[in-house]
Amino acid sequence: MFEFLFKGLIRDKSRSLLPVIVVSLGVSLSVFFVGYIEGMMGDMVDQNARFGTGHMKVMTREYVKNIAQKPLDLSILEAGKVIQELDKSYPEVDWVKRFNFGGILDVPDENGQTKTQGIAGGMAFDMTEGNSDLRRLNIANNIVEGRMPNGPFEMLLGQGLAKRMNVKIGDTITYFGSTMDGSMSFQNFTYVGAVQFGLSVMDDKTFLIDIKDAEQILDMEDAVQEIYGYLPNDIYDDQAIEEIKNTYNASFAESDDEYAPQMLALRDQNGLSTMLDMVNTMSSAFTFFFIIAMSIVLWNTGLLGGLRRYTEFGIRIAIGESKRDIYKSLLLESVIVGVIGSVFGTILGLILTFYLQEVGIDMSDTLGNSNVLFSNVIRAKVVPTQFWIGFFPGVMATFLGALLSGRGIFKRQTSELFNELGV
Amino acid sequence: MQNHINMNTNNIIEIQNVTKRFPVGETEFTALSNINLKIQKGEFTGLIGPSGSGKTTLLNLIGALDIPSEGEILISGKNVAVKSDAESALLRNEHIGFIFQSYNLLPVYSIFENVEFPLLLQKKSKAERKEAVMQALDWVGLSDIANKKPSQISGGQAQRVAIARSIVKKPDIVLADEPTANLDSTNAYKIMDILKKLNEELGITFMFSSHDSKVIEYLRRVITLEDGKVKNDETK
Repeated sequence: MFEFLFKGLIRDKSRSLLPVIVVSLGVSLSVFFVGYIEGMMGDMVDQNARFGTGHMKVMTREYVKNIAQKPLDLSILEAGKVIQELDKSYPEVDWVKRFNFGGILDVPDENGQTKTQGIAGGMAFDMTEGNSDLRRLNIANNIVEGRMPNGPFEMLLGQGLAKRMNVKIGDTITYFGSTMDGSMSFQNFTYVGAVQFGLSVMDDKTFLIDIKDAEQILDMEDAVQEIYGYLPNDIYDDQAIEEIKNTYNASFAESDDEYAPQMLALRDQNGLSTMLDMVNTMSSAFTFFFIIAMSIVLWNTGLLGGLRRYTEFGIRIAIGESKRDIYKSLLLESVIVGVIGSVFGTILGLILTFYLQEVGIDMSDTLGNSNVLFSNVIRAKVVPTQFWIGFFPGVMATFLGALLSGRGIFKRQTSELFNELGV
Repeated sequence: MQNHINMNTNNIIEIQNVTKRFPVGETEFTALSNINLKIQKGEFTGLIGPSGSGKTTLLNLIGALDIPSEGEILISGKNVAVKSDAESALLRNEHIGFIFQSYNLLPVYSIFENVEFPLLLQKKSKAERKEAVMQALDWVGLSDIANKKPSQISGGQAQRVAIARSIVKKPDIVLADEPTANLDSTNAYKIMDILKKLNEELGITFMFSSHDSKVIEYLRRVITLEDGKVKNDETK
């Protein structure tokens, strides 16, 4: 009997192929949507963590109060000792030094006269080969012109800034700024390459130098503005970060030193807490309503699938099949269609997500003037949820549709049903 | 061979004081009123009458597709009204065949598979099914088109397939609701010839609902219904 019904299901394309296609499309959209939202969320966290906030960051208390100005004079002194203690207390965390500072870049012409000049933000990190920050910031792979600095006083520019400054590889760029103590600082650098950060806000305004050069020009040997902390494999974990932050800050709770270290978590910085919570809530709500909407569409498919077969059910009742058996077969068919559709849909959704994860959509034209730390390339992310989430609309909704349309048959008087069917 | 109903009397169908009412809004419509009939095994009987006279309602009651509001319908002495849905289904599957005006073949299945379906419900073996299906198709002269689909055959052939489906399980009773209504004269006569032959040679009891004169010509007993009551009961 099952073989007979299955044969009918396979042969009747409107009962099998069409619903499977509809379910597959609905499920793939749901799966893709989850991956897209996760990708956007993850990307936002990742970009902020890599360039702006770390997973957590240690600064002096006074620096934290004035963090928007990034004041060099409120930096951590005896930075080596502070990092040593951090390494000891939290060995799983990768602690790295970074400098973020401002200054004027001046490009002279062949006569030594200013050719172009502009204000720019400097970022310094350890460019020693094999350093974790070099891998994390992935600068080497994003050089669009020239090479990485490998000697003293060499500079990389964001590609937008390089274009604006009209520099060629090998040109001299003079940095004008101030030291930690407020003295004037001048230093010639050699322009060695342009970097595409993938973040408009950085491409157009940032230059990069090695941390040793920064220590020298800012007069900050064994001092550091900010110490960034990253969890193993750079995987963001809100709870773990919060625990580390709380224990670390608790250890200085008794101190009244205004230059005592203070740790901020990613979500404590740049207004990310509200934004993360809001995006989380919004994305959960969007995902929920999207799944509900897809469920209604697929439920309707199941419902129509049942309704259009009333004539067949009438014949089967007349031949001697019980309503219960017909109802069971209808539900079984809906599960078969739902499972097959969900499997195909999940695979399709994962392929789409994976494609967008690897290739992405370049939004640089749209985000050109944005100051938000957002990648120019929108990427989705394959997450474990995607392997099962599609089965809710796929199987459950199709099954519920069949359940409801089947009940219509089941609850009627047989002859009433029989006559309604026009048999 | 199918399990036939054990009969203590020769009456295969007994309709005792049957009334059937349907709710229409706040009120009720009486489709059948106090019907009393006895149908003996092997009869070739027709219910005739104008539309709305209660022919199809009575066939539905006999076929255990509905239950009377009052009275009893006995098939071989057993009251079908007290049976559960599963028991009614079993009764139809084992003892009653249906033929419809619009053939009602399952379009995705072949002719063979359409005729085979009632035997699948009876859980017959593959060999038994094949033998019974080919025999039924032989009876209606269609064994050569067993592999065709319903869409590939004519209306007359489709009704013959429906006949084969109704008799493949060798039922005691076949209920035929307007079986010739969609057919031309030639095919209508051909169908009636086949049904008459099945009645005579297999002893199947046939009960028709029709107002087609070609069907009435063949009937040995004609029961006329009017406004839900038996107006006339005539045996030729």
